Amino acid sequence: MADALLSMRAITKTFPGVKALDGVDLTVRPGEIHGLVGENGAGKSTIIKVLAGIYRADGGSVKIAGQALPDVTPTAVHAAGVRFIHQELHLVQHFTVTESVFMGQETATLAGLSRRAMRRRAEAFFRDALGSEISGDTLIRDLGIAERKLVQIARALIDGQARLVVFDEPTAPLSSSETDRLFAAIKRLKQRGIAMIYVSHYLAEITAICDRVTVLRNGQNVCVFDEVHPDSAGAMVAAMVGRDIAALFPQSDRAPGCVVLAVSGLGHERFQDVNLTVSKGEIVGIAGLIGSGREELIDVLYGLKRATSGRVVLNDTPLSLRVPADAVDNGIVLVPRDRRHDGLVLNMSVSDNVNLASLDEISTALIERRAKGAQKAREIAQRLDVRPRDPAVVARNLSGGNQQKVVLGRWLTKGATLFMLDEPTVGVDVGAKVEIYALIDRLAADGAAVLVSSSDPGELVGLCDRILVMLRGRIVAELATEGLGVDHLVAVTTGGQAA
Amino acid sequence: MTLTQPLTRRVIDSIPIAVFVALFLYIGLNSANFLTLATWELILKQAVPVVVVAVGLATVIVAGGDDVVSGGIDLSIPATATVCAAIIADQLTNHDTAVAVALILALGAAAVVGAVNATLVVRVGMTPLLATLATSVAVVGVTKVITESRRIGVSDATILFVRDGRIVGVPVSIVMMALIALAFWHLVHRTKWGMHLQATGGSRDAAEISGIATRRLVALSFMLAAFAGWLASVFVLARGSGSSPGTEETLLLEMVLATFLGAAFSPRRVVTVWGAVLGAVLVSALTVGFISIGINVFWTGCIKGALILLVVASAAAGRSQ
Amino acid sequence: MTSVLARHGFLIIIAGFFAFFSIYNPVFMTFGNQLNIVEGSSILLILALGMTLVVAMGGIDLSVGIAFDIGAAFAVVALKEYGFAWPMACLVGVVGGVLVGLLNAFLVVGLKVSPFMATLGTFFIGSSIQRVFTNGGGPISYRQMPQGYRDLAVGDVFGIPTEIVIAAVVLIVYFIFLERSIWGKRIHAIGLQRSAANVAGIRVQRYMVVAFLVASATCAIGGLIGSANIRMFTPLAGFSYLLDAIAAVFIGASMHAKGRPNVIGTLVGVLFLGMIANGLNLMGLNFNLKDALSGLILVGALAFAVGQRRLR
Repeated sequence: MADALLSMRAITKTFPGVKALDGVDLTVRPGEIHGLVGENGAGKSTIIKVLAGIYRADGGSVKIAGQALPDVTPTAVHAAGVRFIHQELHLVQHFTVTESVFMGQETATLAGLSRRAMRRRAEAFFRDALGSEISGDTLIRDLGIAERKLVQIARALIDGQARLVVFDEPTAPLSSSETDRLFAAIKRLKQRGIAMIYVSHYLAEITAICDRVTVLRNGQNVCVFDEVHPDSAGAMVAAMVGRDIAALFPQSDRAPGCVVLAVSGLGHERFQDVNLTVSKGEIVGIAGLIGSGREELIDVLYGLKRATSGRVVLNDTPLSLRVPADAVDNGIVLVPRDRRHDGLVLNMSVSDNVNLASLDEISTALIERRAKGAQKAREIAQRLDVRPRDPAVVARNLSGGNQQKVVLGRWLTKGATLFMLDEPTVGVDVGAKVEIYALIDRLAADGAAVLVSSSDPGELVGLCDRILVMLRGRIVAELATEGLGVDHLVAVTTGGQAA
Repeated sequence: MTLTQPLTRRVIDSIPIAVFVALFLYIGLNSANFLTLATWELILKQAVPVVVVAVGLATVIVAGGDDVVSGGIDLSIPATATVCAAIIADQLTNHDTAVAVALILALGAAAVVGAVNATLVVRVGMTPLLATLATSVAVVGVTKVITESRRIGVSDATILFVRDGRIVGVPVSIVMMALIALAFWHLVHRTKWGMHLQATGGSRDAAEISGIATRRLVALSFMLAAFAGWLASVFVLARGSGSSPGTEETLLLEMVLATFLGAAFSPRRVVTVWGAVLGAVLVSALTVGFISIGINVFWTGCIKGALILLVVASAAAGRSQ
Repeated sequence: MTSVLARHGFLIIIAGFFAFFSIYNPVFMTFGNQLNIVEGSSILLILALGMTLVVAMGGIDLSVGIAFDIGAAFAVVALKEYGFAWPMACLVGVVGGVLVGLLNAFLVVGLKVSPFMATLGTFFIGSSIQRVFTNGGGPISYRQMPQGYRDLAVGDVFGIPTEIVIAAVVLIVYFIFLERSIWGKRIHAIGLQRSAANVAGIRVQRYMVVAFLVASATCAIGGLIGSANIRMFTPLAGFSYLLDAIAAVFIGASMHAKGRPNVIGTLVGVLFLGMIANGLNLMGLNFNLKDALSGLILVGALAFAVGQRRLR
């Protein structure tokens, strides 16, 4: 058996009140792609931060290529050949590709920067190591997101000293074709003998690309999968959650009623001629790659973007949606895809966030009644199992799943006709996912019309009654979910197969 | 796959240039001697103090980011220039000090201002807007103590040489301005250090991840800006043949206008050293041009204000496309 | 020790200065003098409250001095050239302020210019227009000013100077609306995270426009008092309040648990600045030295205010 490239043994890390890591082992062999999975709070990001030298472990040891690292600092780890590809791109919009790749490691002579030499090296790296033709003079802001990811990778690897690369949720913003490009680049890196740690919530990708997988739960090792194939996902989920999740999705027993939302001929810069209906008690899904117009459709239906043509009719009333307030006033609500930016006011309390859309109801003559607001927030927290329960807690301090529940909870106090959810469980751990799915189902059962837009095909098949597939700005298929295979949905979404 | 800029965005981006071209055409057609060498020599001479403070401001903005409220800005540079001018004038005229010593004393004062700015922004964590606004008030106050709110005339040979002398037929101040601008440009845009400065302003996080010492760079940018203020003081002195109270207000307006105008002309739409130089020259040309066609001097303030807005509005509009 | 300083820091500083000035010149401590401080701070408080509203909303308003000037100009001209009754002239003055606010609102909301640049532009344009209008910056004086208008500055209401009463009324109204009402809640949400407030269904643009209008109208009220005080409209007089207003708002924000601009904090900031100006005055210093010292104290106060918040 080959000697381990990375050997982390018995790592413990305690924060005030919580033991984040309890004797965790992580071993990565040279040249392998090692997956790291676990729910939010399982310890994935903590152990990565310990490796990066951002946190100091309370106990345990770290060895890289047999060399013990007594003091794990960012500089020492970097010198040992470990590189990190964070979730956040951290690129400067107005820099060129070359400038971005060489940030902090520019080559220069007395006369100034060696721009031409750097550009040549950068372009050569893209071509040989990543299999991509990117011009060194392109500005970052003119690149698509997959290429920006490649620039981020190039920056980490250009000095040729990397032996282990850690990818943290690399594909979250990517479409599936862009993910394929990234995987191709990752495989080329593997051919060069670089080992990788791949941290992700997307089990389909984990099983597609990883050689071995470590599963963490509650700060401890659960197990290591020495063999990974596509069927392993089920076993992985069970290991992550620690209980048998027979059905992630609620059994649904709803009968849709009359049509609530009728969209006809809706057009925008990114999509044309969209017709759809959503009925009372129905959950309709929208599938589509990034660039299919799916995101823009939701934005238009909520007044975040302006339609160029078509009509939106809610309960027989045509709507003019210029700002989100127009949608909300008509009973259309949105749980947005970027909850930290658009969903919650992070520095306000849970109570403030829950009541933000219904302030009139907790006021007398315009004066806010704080006690009443706190009471409402407590009720919502109870109903949705938001932790911690205290309504005075600042929203920033909640986990992703709980934050999402707060955003949903805000609309529950308002009572809406049409609920729109954009990527409802991104960055949410499995336990909270189950709760959110149950919530969505209950919303529909109670009579709301629900529209779910998602990049997770499994989620759409499990949750929705019907799925509309968008491709390059048009709706190309409408699929009933009864008996629908996830692969078939993926095939239609990526354009590989007609409905 | 690269995204091409939509046509509307390109049209909006070229509004500032179009407006300037139109203005200059108008002036050129209505003024007999606008396009003469003598006029342009005057324009360049007038622009000198603005160019020097503007490159200082550009350095701070490059290091701190383009967003005016949360990013880098230094509103105290004109005040620094004024206090240095006051110190030099006071030393030369009232204390008979040697020129070199007077200059060094003024440089010391500028260093103090730069250090205070750097400390307030980096150590205390104040937004640069607030910090430099406050220091400029303090510095103006100190200036008043030195000058007792009165003008101090200067007749020292060195200062007069800066005002009237020529090198190879070109006025000394213009030559010095060119050298200073070149030095700043090279430092900020052609060296590794300058690249790190740009990275710090472009994205603090990106720079820090790349191992760049961002705090030190931001602090140094304020020191450089104060240094630019000291350099400008010599020209302010020369132009006014002494130190006069109240020069910093106009200089402030022109400095801000020049620097942000320059950004509108750069292909990447960011503040740059050479953009600031270009902006300062253009603003000076406009001022001289307006006078030469007889526009009421008070209206020029209005027009400059409108110009700032035009430039910034089109930049904002271009970004929101 | 540091935590005690951090929590009550600014109050300790205020107490320190109070003690120092009282020892240096016992007149400082007298009721009459303290009343002077409060009365002298009235105009600044009014302007600083307008600034508080705009900063709470996530912007900044560099044109507060312009609204002050335009308010005064409109009112004085209405009184002098058109013989309006003084209440009508006040209304005209406030309308002047609203016009300034309209320009700001148009630039920020309509053209999407950043508040700093927009209000900077308004400042330059407004200053320049004043110069043109008065042909170089001379004041418009009105010695025979109707007593009703003059009383805004020199009269009193049940024994309390009218200036203080007006400032107090503005203070109470702002407190109720910005800190206790649901309107204020929405404004704070917009200032904290505009996109989230937008998605939550708050009519962001509407609130921003109203905020700029209200802030400028408020500053115009300050201008009315200012012109009533000296019986003339002096162009560009409002500029001297700008930095103090900004400083007061930031000092006030530093006293808030979450660092938010707030009405009571602004009041404390304004009184602090008034105390410094008054104390330095009573020390009988040369006026240039006084200006220098107050500038230096301002820098120190702001540094402390911001710094001590980070310690917490």
